[in-house]
Amino acid sequence: MSGQASQSHGAQESGSRGGDQEQYKQLYDMLLNAIPSSVLLIDSKLRVTSVNRNFLTRSQRSLSDTIGCTLAEVFPSVILERTDIKRRILEVFKSNKPSSGQRMAYRAPGMPFRTYYYRIFPIVSGTREEQVMLLMEDVTEQVRLSEEMRRMECHLASVVESASDLVLSLDTEGRILTWNTAAEKLSGFAFSRVKGQFFFEFCHSAAHSDIKNLFHRMRRSARPLTAEWELMPEKGSEIPVAWVFSPMKDDDALTVGIVAVGRDLTEQRKLEAEQRRSQKLAALGVMAGGIAHEIRNPLAVCSSAAQFLMEDGLAAEFRTECAEKIQASLQKASSIIENLLRFSRPSDKQKMAPVALATVLSETITLAANQAKVHKIKIICQLPERCPPVSGVFSLLQQVFMNLLLNAINAMPEGGELHITLEQQGGEARISIKDTGTGIAEDALDKIFDPFHTTSPVGQGVGLGLSLCYSIVKQHLGSISVDSQPGQGTTFTVSLPLL
Amino acid sequence: MTASSQPLLDCLIVDDEPGIAWVMEHLLLTGGYTAVSVPTGMAALAALRQQRFRLAFLDAKLPDIDGLQLAQQLRELEPAMPIILVSGYYYPDDPAILRALESDTISHFIAKPFTNGDILAVLAGLA
Repeated sequence: MSGQASQSHGAQESGSRGGDQEQYKQLYDMLLNAIPSSVLLIDSKLRVTSVNRNFLTRSQRSLSDTIGCTLAEVFPSVILERTDIKRRILEVFKSNKPSSGQRMAYRAPGMPFRTYYYRIFPIVSGTREEQVMLLMEDVTEQVRLSEEMRRMECHLASVVESASDLVLSLDTEGRILTWNTAAEKLSGFAFSRVKGQFFFEFCHSAAHSDIKNLFHRMRRSARPLTAEWELMPEKGSEIPVAWVFSPMKDDDALTVGIVAVGRDLTEQRKLEAEQRRSQKLAALGVMAGGIAHEIRNPLAVCSSAAQFLMEDGLAAEFRTECAEKIQASLQKASSIIENLLRFSRPSDKQKMAPVALATVLSETITLAANQAKVHKIKIICQLPERCPPVSGVFSLLQQVFMNLLLNAINAMPEGGELHITLEQQGGEARISIKDTGTGIAEDALDKIFDPFHTTSPVGQGVGLGLSLCYSIVKQHLGSISVDSQPGQGTTFTVSLPLL
Repeated sequence: MTASSQPLLDCLIVDDEPGIAWVMEHLLLTGGYTAVSVPTGMAALAALRQQRFRLAFLDAKLPDIDGLQLAQQLRELEPAMPIILVSGYYYPDDPAILRALESDTISHFIAKPFTNGDILAVLAGLA
């Protein structure tokens, strides 16, 4: 019998029925041993009457020191105490109903911990003493997996919750499903307040139709879409946020939701405004020479004419001529200063408004003309009389054109021609600024819009100029491009959507 | 006809700003000097090839050439002619001006705006 783990002690008493009995017993043993779970039969005195091979292997016991032993001898006392298994068995004897499933951690000597799921079933037999069956299934792996899964879920949730960016999930209609702590903090709205609400309700009203459009496109898009929309917090003024919307796809590649990640741009905007201010100062510094020359000429005329007037015996005609020269010169000096003031006025906190590009360009060209003149540069300018306006901030657009003009002038130390054209192409206004200067090397063209890139020597450069041009043009939903031939010249083209 | 065969004129004025040319002409002519004004470097060189001048007043920034560059070119044509740079672009102790004075590219520098006396004093000093 030693090769046969399963052993029914009841079977030892029944030799009278001969071969049939033996055959059934063998079949019973075979079936019992084939079960990939531990099976024990226990009588009402809590003694083991039968056991299968699975249990013996796991518990590292032999058949002989298990059959007929009490539960207390077979299971470590710590398990019996913790699982209350004795009481459960007695309960089943009493109720004749299977117990509910329970978990039990069991560790055989020298073996790692295993987790079992066990149930106790009553075995009703008219002739025999009553027994119950203890069925133990090893669920160590499942438990490990589910714990891992739970840990992973917790980890993911904590990633989302710890993020300083806003992380939202939305349904395909744009209704809020989840809203992380960063979103609660920035907006002041608790998740419970926003749950199920439409995302657009928490954005600036100017963006509502754009948001609806984006979600509409999102349903078919496989790629993330980006936007900058202002968040309307519970208290205080709107907050600029850069959003990235990514579609969540199911196994059939259908969009089932949207993940929105938003970054508060407040600090960045402040930094940009500061950069623009300091860059403007740099541009004003560059222009100082040209402006000094241009203002001191009319001042010299005024000064001399005034001195003429102080002389005695002047002809009335000449006196009038002197007065007219003084008047005209003062007007000229004053208009140079006025243009300068227009350029230097603060540009932050200005709202988008319809802007006539021809006016921006002509004001900027007038100011840059002083600089062009001292560098012997001829300005050739083609501005149409009528061009529909664009939506923009006057002073920011002026800063873009001023930077491009000053860069062009800077590129022509030996003089040259500066062509400025404004034309309407479809729904866009296209401004091109073309110089006949030194040009830009091909390998530098890629880096030209990077902040801090400059080819000018320290102290002379307007290194921030082009990266600011880029960010301002982008803010106006436009684009800027450059085309250059070293030794031939450079053309910058700015495209802006017409209103 | 060569430049040397022409009567000597007192002043060549090179300035593209009509107001300055008006001031200089009036100042010099009423002071009893003879003067001709031209608006560009090219015109100045052309005038000098046709006519001799006792001295020249140059603006620093001309449409076709830098005043200091023009001074060098005039120097080659008329090594002895005093050249006075009259400009609002530089200041009196500007390094570029100090260098030009040191190398004798220019003889004097007068900053704009100037007093009429400044101009006349230069002429008197050279007389």
